[in-house]
Amino acid sequence: MSEGSENRVDRIVSDLLRGRRLRLRGGDADEKEAITAAARLVAAGQGVQRMHPAFRKRMAQALEAAPNGGWLTRRAALVAGLGVVTGVAAGGLMGRAMEPNLSSYVPAPRQVSPANGRWVDVGALADFVDGQATRVTAGAIGAFLFRRGDTVNAVSSICSDLPCELQWNGGTHVLDCPCHPASFTPAGAPTNKAYPLPSLDLVSARVTDAGRVEILGT
Amino acid sequence: MTTGPGRSQSEARGDEGAGEILELPAASSSTAIALDELELVYAFIYARVGNRPDAEDLTQQVAMKAIPRLRPGAPASAIRGYLFATARSVLGAFWSTRLGLSESELHEDLAMAVPPGPPSEEPAERARRVLESLSDNYRRVLTLRFLHGYSLKEVAAEMRSTVGAVKVMQLRALRAAAKVRLDE
Repeated sequence: MSEGSENRVDRIVSDLLRGRRLRLRGGDADEKEAITAAARLVAAGQGVQRMHPAFRKRMAQALEAAPNGGWLTRRAALVAGLGVVTGVAAGGLMGRAMEPNLSSYVPAPRQVSPANGRWVDVGALADFVDGQATRVTAGAIGAFLFRRGDTVNAVSSICSDLPCELQWNGGTHVLDCPCHPASFTPAGAPTNKAYPLPSLDLVSARVTDAGRVEILGT
Repeated sequence: MTTGPGRSQSEARGDEGAGEILELPAASSSTAIALDELELVYAFIYARVGNRPDAEDLTQQVAMKAIPRLRPGAPASAIRGYLFATARSVLGAFWSTRLGLSESELHEDLAMAVPPGPPSEEPAERARRVLESLSDNYRRVLTLRFLHGYSLKEVAAEMRSTVGAVKVMQLRALRAAAKVRLDE
């Protein structure tokens, strides 16, 4: 990270002053106190905030969608109503948060499909330890490769939330993000059910007849 | 920047009293009560994340998590308490996930009392007191930037400095502001 702290914090301050959401990157955690102080000051400078009429209306519609108006105990109806909101914010955090059954929802993973991709040999199947991750590269594609018997799967080596290189934790068998408390299973699913993140992107991997492992890279 | 509707029915009736029972006779009435409570939650969250998109996302998370667990006839104070407990949890997860903040570093939010009524000027008052406790230069750069909305260039011109120097001063001032502990 060559960008200085003062530049990174000012980027965040500038975003906040323009009404944009907090977009944090790896390394921003070093200035967490300054960033939280900036967020509070921005809010203080704008005075007491109430819900935007459009947002309030969406919330009201979601609450009214509950049968017989009994929003307090009708979880399913509320979820159904709020699901409408999800479509409005496709791709955003809100979309993830508003999906049914927050505790088990995991956004669908995406397959990495590089333009003009090509299969790149990353080693013999016998070189990979069963159940353990191995960091491999195939041109511009970085991935963690997992062997299960005679099959393999691979996931992107980049965290789906912050642009940081994941690290394999052999003790807990998860991929840890060094930039914040996030981790992912070998299949790429986030492990923190209370705060769902997108799954890791999937990288195509295969075993050839000759027992070689190949990754679809660039 | 955003402005919502005027005082709600429940505010006008003073329904927030601790121990009062929330009556939910009709859909429109219960929805209005829910929205009133979520307005407080929204203001609480906005004061901590400083932007509308994140505040809306997090408020919806609170609604999603807390409302299905509430019961008709519960005391208003209990409902509000549960909503704000959920809000603090959601905020904690937000900062924790984004920045790696530990719970101990979130003590200020965790210890924050449940607001007794409609959104107040508390965040602005708190910011004023924080700024007052800073050195002149730090207070000036933060006031110009955050309260008056000056660009870095404008702040530099006002303070007869350079943009680069103002950036560094802004960072140091924010660090200093974060260290201020106010007696509540």
